[in-house]
Amino acid sequence: MDTSQLLKGVLDLAVLAVLRDGDGYGYDVLRRLRSAGLEDVADASVYGTLRRLFAAGALTSYVQPSEEGPHRKYYGLNKIGRDLLAESTKTWNHFADTMSVLLIEEAT
Amino acid sequence: MNSTLTGAVAVYLAQVRAELSDLPPGELEDVLDDVSGHLAEVAAESEAEPTAEALQDRLGTPRQYADELRTAAGYPPRAEQSSDQAGWPALRWGLIAATVGPFLVVIGGISPVFILLGLITLFGAAFFGVRALHGNDPRIVLETAQGQRLAASIRNLVDQIPPNLRHELVSIGQPVWWVARGVVGGGGFFALFGAGAVAVVGALAGAAVSVWIGRRTQQDRRWLWYVVPLNVVATVIVPAWLAFSFVGGSAYGLFGGYNDYRGSSGTDYAYASGLTMDGNRIENIYPFDEQGRQVKVRLYDQDGKPLKVEIQDCVGYWGTDPSSTRPSESNQFPQAMILPDSEGNTSADNCKDSDKAPFIPPAAPVSSPPTATTTPTPSAGTSTKPSTTPTTSPSASAPNSPRPSVTLTISPTR
Repeated sequence: MDTSQLLKGVLDLAVLAVLRDGDGYGYDVLRRLRSAGLEDVADASVYGTLRRLFAAGALTSYVQPSEEGPHRKYYGLNKIGRDLLAESTKTWNHFADTMSVLLIEEAT
Repeated sequence: MNSTLTGAVAVYLAQVRAELSDLPPGELEDVLDDVSGHLAEVAAESEAEPTAEALQDRLGTPRQYADELRTAAGYPPRAEQSSDQAGWPALRWGLIAATVGPFLVVIGGISPVFILLGLITLFGAAFFGVRALHGNDPRIVLETAQGQRLAASIRNLVDQIPPNLRHELVSIGQPVWWVARGVVGGGGFFALFGAGAVAVVGALAGAAVSVWIGRRTQQDRRWLWYVVPLNVVATVIVPAWLAFSFVGGSAYGLFGGYNDYRGSSGTDYAYASGLTMDGNRIENIYPFDEQGRQVKVRLYDQDGKPLKVEIQDCVGYWGTDPSSTRPSESNQFPQAMILPDSEGNTSADNCKDSDKAPFIPPAAPVSSPPTATTTPTPSAGTSTKPSTTPTTSPSASAPNSPRPSVTLTISPTR
């Protein structure tokens, strides 16, 4: 099964999750997702997700100069973002449990 | 951030921008900030500057990239149909006008009407451009088949230039171009209407406006619709203006020059004044009568104006007495000519002149009662009838000829 299809639904959650560990700029978030095992994530969709979460008020944004070149725009979780993460985590866990039970029942 | 991107990366960014051009301006700038940061990171990963192909392998086409971004960010789908249908005819006419307009302005030297037409056409180009754009990027031009081919060939050319040199060219050459274009545009415009001082002020103002427009264009590419036609005009006018000032003309001459030549005395023709025949200067005339005897005459044209040539005898040539009232020209022929001595030289103190023809005239044709002294052969020689003959001195007239005709023989040009 193509994981990129699955990713579409949970990319918000994944991005919120990696930002929980600390603020990050776009490419940093992308790298963290990749190193966490989400190899199939598309570059542009991560940037798009960051914009959407920011537009929804779940993220803060600030520019910070970098020593090796251009300024970078960092994104971080705010209160809304943390609440959203907690809620989404609950939803995901419930969904994942349901799916797991369903798949086990089907398999037997 | 944008300023650090060069070459294929900058092109890619611009193409993504074009794909997202329907977004609200604020959101567009914010998301493109992210995108340019992304592209900078991708570019930094490879040693050399990535090519357009490498970027597409890594990120997909600009359209795919923009679509992914659009979907993930929850932007509304691109309203392509409506803008395209409305835009294309306007775009086509805009491009035609933008091409024809500068041409008309350039050939405006022929008549100011063309300048006016050209400027109207350029305004039309700008109008159609705005119509065609309507939220689109000028890169819509490059989405046509011809546009893409042209863009690809230009990109290949640019790729030949080393990246660091390319960067230098853009960062140094662009401001220089902005200033040059503004100075010529502003200065030239005011020079049409006013004096030099006004033109200088106009040139400075033009430079300032040009730089401002240049900076605006970098931020909002929609300005390209105005800038591109203006640049086309400027690329034609700047070299023309420089060339013009080198050959010693002025900006005014471009538009008023044609009047200057009308009615001038045509100094290009060396023999335009004086007596000529078939373009050769007539220095002397040796009249002969029917019997082949040299005669003295005064010549007048059909209006009674004397046919004069410069006197070339010893006095006239050496000019011994400048205060003399003796005229420098005479219509009395033949005139005395300086005779060179045996070595071919002439000198002031030992000058000789003579009015004797330096040739033997051909025999006159039979046109009057023959006399014993002539043996005419009907061949060469010009014979003019007395109607054109000026007054001849009585001594030269043949007594037996009631209507003496005079043979005009023109001395060969030396």
